[in-house]
Amino acid sequence: MEIESYLHIGFLFFFSGAMFSLLPGQKTKTYIYILSSIGAAGFAVFGLYLLFTEPRNMFSLPISSVFDFSFCGDGISGFFILVISILAFAVSVYSIGYTRDLDNKGLMGFLFNIFILSMYAVVLSGNIITFLISWETMSIISYFLVTFDRDEKSAKAGLVYAVMTHIGTAFLIVLFMILYRYTGDMGFSGIKGLSSQIPEDMKSLVFIFSIIGFGTKAGIIPFHTWLPRAHPAAPSNISSLMSGVMIKTGIYGFIRISMDIMGPGPEWWGIAIIVIGAVSSILGVMYALMEHDLKRLLAYHSVENIGIILLGIGASMVFRSSGMLALSSLALIAGLYHTLNHAVFKGLLFLGAGSVMHATHTKNMEDMGGLIKSMPYTGLFFLVGSVSICALPPFNGFVSEWLTYQSLLLGFKSTSITSKIISPLGGAALALTGALAAACFVKAFGISFLGMPRSCHAENVKESSLSMIIGMGILALLCLLFGVFPGIVLTIIQPVSFMLTGSHGMAYKGIFIGISETLSTLSPAAILITMIVMSISTLIFILTVGRKKRIIYGDSWDCGIPWLTPRMQYSAAAFTKPVRMIFKRIYLPTRELKVSYLVKPFFVKSIEYSGEITPFFEKYIYDPVTGFIHKLAGKVKILQSGSLHLYLAYILITLILLLIFGT
Amino acid sequence: MKNWIQAFSVIDFISVGILLAAVAMNALRRIESCVRAYTLNSWLLSLLIGIVAFMIGETHLYIAAAVTLLSKGIAIPVFLRRIVRQMKITHDVEPYISNALSLTISGILVAVVYASLKEGIFVAGFSKNVLQISVAVILIGLFIMITRRKAVIQVIGLLFMENGLFLAGFSLTFGMPTIIELGILFDMLMGVIILGMFIIQIRRAFASADLDKLTVLKG
Repeated sequence: MEIESYLHIGFLFFFSGAMFSLLPGQKTKTYIYILSSIGAAGFAVFGLYLLFTEPRNMFSLPISSVFDFSFCGDGISGFFILVISILAFAVSVYSIGYTRDLDNKGLMGFLFNIFILSMYAVVLSGNIITFLISWETMSIISYFLVTFDRDEKSAKAGLVYAVMTHIGTAFLIVLFMILYRYTGDMGFSGIKGLSSQIPEDMKSLVFIFSIIGFGTKAGIIPFHTWLPRAHPAAPSNISSLMSGVMIKTGIYGFIRISMDIMGPGPEWWGIAIIVIGAVSSILGVMYALMEHDLKRLLAYHSVENIGIILLGIGASMVFRSSGMLALSSLALIAGLYHTLNHAVFKGLLFLGAGSVMHATHTKNMEDMGGLIKSMPYTGLFFLVGSVSICALPPFNGFVSEWLTYQSLLLGFKSTSITSKIISPLGGAALALTGALAAACFVKAFGISFLGMPRSCHAENVKESSLSMIIGMGILALLCLLFGVFPGIVLTIIQPVSFMLTGSHGMAYKGIFIGISETLSTLSPAAILITMIVMSISTLIFILTVGRKKRIIYGDSWDCGIPWLTPRMQYSAAAFTKPVRMIFKRIYLPTRELKVSYLVKPFFVKSIEYSGEITPFFEKYIYDPVTGFIHKLAGKVKILQSGSLHLYLAYILITLILLLIFGT
Repeated sequence: MKNWIQAFSVIDFISVGILLAAVAMNALRRIESCVRAYTLNSWLLSLLIGIVAFMIGETHLYIAAAVTLLSKGIAIPVFLRRIVRQMKITHDVEPYISNALSLTISGILVAVVYASLKEGIFVAGFSKNVLQISVAVILIGLFIMITRRKAVIQVIGLLFMENGLFLAGFSLTFGMPTIIELGILFDMLMGVIILGMFIIQIRRAFASADLDKLTVLKG
């Protein structure tokens, strides 16, 4: 079969899914997601083909003499298509069960399919105009999905998202105009061929604009403010797609512009990316730690993981600018590996959060608890996702973060002092991030799934439907697969890194992967086997040695209080208190304690405690700016008196002035 | 006959009549008189088109003259009078400024137009006064809209502006193709009907057709 026919199959299935959703009749609407999953499978095959073939033009429709509507693909597009397809497949399966209770199934099905297609269009766009059209389609469709639940909170989240994403697009338009101005070509491949004509300082300007433009979509700090609002507002299958793959299109755009088209840049580009990545990952995980809303917590973790991806990409740029191509390839592999991993485990976690919310009807962790007893599969898969995101073996997060560490720590091989200092510091930041992420997911999993139900929401919950469990199960399995057999992932990433750096950087042999530069190797499969063997032998030891003692079961010690209640459990706020105290210079926490007494100071009637952290970026960067704009708008509003006569008078005065000065 | 028209500058006289009918709006106090002024204005416009048609012998201009007379000269005035009767309002136009000031400003407007369009586009076969007069009628129509409180007068002001625009277009192009003129007339007829409905609706909702009350609608 021709390669393109897979593309056509994929497109056809998504498109017919979208069209069927618009037909009247609500009952069978949930089955259109089967079409979407077949479409995703078609695109996955197509993406795989693209990785191992020459760049090719898929489709070209001339609009005018200056530009045509064109889609073409190469290895980079192929990799991102594969990432999108994997998550789209699992989410489609999940959506069969998830959307059953939605009010507006038809609209959801339509937007869902078009949204996925628009993401494919972004990574396949062959020229500037096609890219911008696809990019805007993606942004607008996702805006409609964010505001899918028609309440005030979603509307506000949607507004913040729309404003932020359009500011980003504005920078992208300027960026593309600069590229066109100096090369006179609209197509990406044409611009790439002529990129040496762009002067150095203009290249740096393009680089900065690409950080702002694509960074807004990717959610780097300080452009992250829309993530923790928009992702929780959307329905969970959508937030899974948005957080798992949509923000990755920002990474795609950045790689396409700053690495592929412009070629190796000066060293400070890479250093800047490492610094941005380090700041995003540390602050992202810190804010995540303070969230008690499950989906907001996950959204902040997306900020963190984008930071980790950027650490890898930044290191790659640093090595590339000083000509160490093998190391550059290694660091790029680390970044792309984490891109794939984050799509898989963050998609899984959002789906898990969706199942929990679907069952408990609350997002607040403090109201959950004990869910693992009633939702064993969801609990297990959420645990797999949590372990993966904490980068623990044998799951996938471990491999990509290990690679990122390796590439950052190998920064000492760099020739310049700056990168010798900055790269290991990035590694240190990554270490801090990893520790905090582990703390965060101990909290997220422990508070929601373990212990006793904290409120009536968490009592009498039912396990999710079969399709939802299968959707999560696919991703959980992939977490394990990508973690144990990194060779598979290397096969699909190496064409990309070879294309950009011209070096393989890594080798894999059987269950071992090795770094060519330092000869260090890693075998997660061996780790897994060791772990299994050790736990089995421990179990055997306990069973043989411990059997002689009789086991007595009794109640937990309750300090003499007659009975234990759910309110005595560790709460999420209490669990994170130590972190809040250590980093109080960053969190700037505020707390309020209200105690009312019956007889002071012995008999307390009630205690009210509320504590929150200061949202630094909103309060000190965004609020002043929006305040200023509001003030300006208030001044302009004086013109808008509401009087018809005054408006007419404006017209008359304008006409007379034109008559006098225009002739 | 054609020589007579040339010799006595009949076209200029009729144009001035059109201008005077517009200026008269400033001094009129009753809504019915305003409608009458508009009727006069439309008839003169139709007459002007008819005379020009006779001068250059174009058939489609005769059609334009006839349609103008029928719609602007008869249909719209009748409709406006019915609205005024239905609304049962005081028949005073309630201007914001005194008649004397209103007339003065109208005069200034005409002077400004004449001063600024001194060496404008000159069309052969026509007096160049026609273009200036038409622009002056547009501005006076707008000025009437600004200074009168009643919603009906807004509509009449708009109609004056439309007449001015029609005259301006006519003086520059010797009449547009019939189909376009018919289209414009039909649009305007619809516009007036819709505006009439609105005025009645506004009166029903606010118990007044006073536009000052509409300021509460702003955001």
